[in-house]
Amino acid sequence: MSGDRARGVGGDGLSGPLELIAELSRAFASSGDLEATIQRAVERITEYVGAQGGALFLVEEDEHGGEGSLVCHASTGPVKITGLRLGPRQGIVGRCCETETLQHVRDVADDPSWEPAVDAETGFTTRSILCAPLIVQDERLGAIELVNKLSGDGLFAAEDARLLEALAASAALSLHNARITERLVEREALEREVRVAAEIQRSMLPMDRPVPFPLAATNVPARGVSGDFYDWLELPDGRIVFCVGDVSGKGIEAAILMAKTASLFRCIARDVAEPGPILGRLNAEILETVTRGMFVTMAAGLLDPGPGTVRLAAAGHPPALVRDADATWHEIPSGAPPLGIGPFRQPGGPPEVDLSLRGGSLYLFTDGVTESPGPREGMLGIDGLRRAIDERMGLPAHARLEALAASLRAGPHRDDRTLLVVDGSPEPARPDLVPLLSLRFAARPERLGEMREALADACRGAGCAEGCTRDVVLAVDEACQNVIRHAYRGQEGEIDLEMSRDGDRLVIYLRDFAPPVDPAVIRPRDLGDVRPGGLGTHFIQALMDEEELRPADSGPGNLLRMTKRIQGGGA
Amino acid sequence: MSGEARMSYEIRHVGGTAVVSFRGDVDLEHSPTAREVLLSSVRSGRDLAVDLSAVEYIDSSGIASLVEAFQEARKRGARFSLVAVSPAALRVFELARLDHVFTLHDSLEEALADG
Repeated sequence: MSGDRARGVGGDGLSGPLELIAELSRAFASSGDLEATIQRAVERITEYVGAQGGALFLVEEDEHGGEGSLVCHASTGPVKITGLRLGPRQGIVGRCCETETLQHVRDVADDPSWEPAVDAETGFTTRSILCAPLIVQDERLGAIELVNKLSGDGLFAAEDARLLEALAASAALSLHNARITERLVEREALEREVRVAAEIQRSMLPMDRPVPFPLAATNVPARGVSGDFYDWLELPDGRIVFCVGDVSGKGIEAAILMAKTASLFRCIARDVAEPGPILGRLNAEILETVTRGMFVTMAAGLLDPGPGTVRLAAAGHPPALVRDADATWHEIPSGAPPLGIGPFRQPGGPPEVDLSLRGGSLYLFTDGVTESPGPREGMLGIDGLRRAIDERMGLPAHARLEALAASLRAGPHRDDRTLLVVDGSPEPARPDLVPLLSLRFAARPERLGEMREALADACRGAGCAEGCTRDVVLAVDEACQNVIRHAYRGQEGEIDLEMSRDGDRLVIYLRDFAPPVDPAVIRPRDLGDVRPGGLGTHFIQALMDEEELRPADSGPGNLLRMTKRIQGGGA
Repeated sequence: MSGEARMSYEIRHVGGTAVVSFRGDVDLEHSPTAREVLLSSVRSGRDLAVDLSAVEYIDSSGIASLVEAFQEARKRGARFSLVAVSPAALRVFELARLDHVFTLHDSLEEALADG
């Protein structure tokens, strides 16, 4: 069958080789096993041209990046030579690669490049050789070699040479593409591992605590994994040990040292609450095991939340910033070199500084923060960071930190950015919100009737008169319609409705889990325009005292907050 | 929720006028029905009087249905009036500043006598 096709080469044109080329391209493109595909390609080409044996050699760079040797990756015929390694210019294959031209040797006995050693070893008799280079653009991939024509006089004809050249060009391109794909697949696998590592790292950071808690922190890794970390630990007596650290270098190596340092901190801090001795012990541990040339800068503190006092120690870390209640700033520099450089001069660890926050706040950060681009030119710097904090003092500590982190742009070094705040003035106790209603329902028109009934009952229960109840119900119903029409856009989804009373006001949260909504989509309509649509948002704005739409804090979705003063009977 | 629909409607013909009465909630779920009923009455070539005395709730989608029918009637030169608008619905018309766009009548008799 294949023999017939091979004999047809000279006669019925190119449809035969084109089919084979197409077949080989498909095999290379869809294969998960490149070596197996190369083997199959050599077998098919050898069979197609009608040779006794065939082999494919690929150039392999040696360890020193020097001239590559030629290694046989696939062979077919009476003698298998897969694995055979030739020098860069050795043999007819070597000459083919070297000159990047087809080699057509009618009788090897007359060819000076011929290496009889292989035949001598295998007992095979080579008479005639066709060898075509595998080249893509400027890259020499290797060569494909056919030995002894099966039919006729055992010599290859000019048509055979042209055919092999065409097949080799196609095979080279397919091989080149397959190698690129293979590299991409490897990179994806690596990226997946980095994602997993980042996930593990995030799980090592402490969870945000419900307010009021005097500490908040944020970490923005520059790459998938971070060399920065922070942690805090509540001691049984109510005091809190905390730290911020930055491992030198980036990538996986830094991430592993970060994980180690963070774990050590947790272990040591349980026994030794004082920050100086913690850093001393950490330094000793890191010095014993760390790879040379890597180090960790770190600031650690111990907060007594009652009186609002902090004991602080730092090793090679950027200065701690303290903002007093009267808005004056102080810098507290590190008292020792980074961890992992050498034994500390002070046996008890870096010197400690005692601070009283008295309504002020303390900031620890890594250099990725101050080295991020400033609002105008250059880096943000410590002054820029102070200004950025000053501008956001109206926000509670946690929100302030989130806003700061969001305002920081990645610098040219793309360093990790970590910020921690210790707030000496926990938020004043708020009058407790009285929960009135909590509903979750499908975002569908037919569920709105029930929602309105439950909401109306809750409003009346909170002391709203009938008119006030009707207004709240209409506004919330319209807001739900916006969610159904503009957020979910006909997709299935859910809506969470929470209403509580805060003093004389109703506070309503409406949350969906849809992609973010552009507020421009639901802006109120021009009332002069007598046309359906856009009315709902106008109703909400007319009926409620406040309304604010923003992305939800956690997970996907939008959060609409609305408030309305309770208007009772007779009001 | 009970199996009963929150909105029902009734159509009567009084002379050349179609009187459409809605009852209950003209909300996002039911306004497509309201829209169909109103538009087909307008397209039957009659004047339209919409009785809203038993409407307990109407939202922007219900208002939109009325506006669309009103515009269709005006295009055809037919009369379109709202009758005995319930206080709940009137509040919403006022919010939409549509109380002066529509012709409002206190009773059906008044609506039929007018014009």
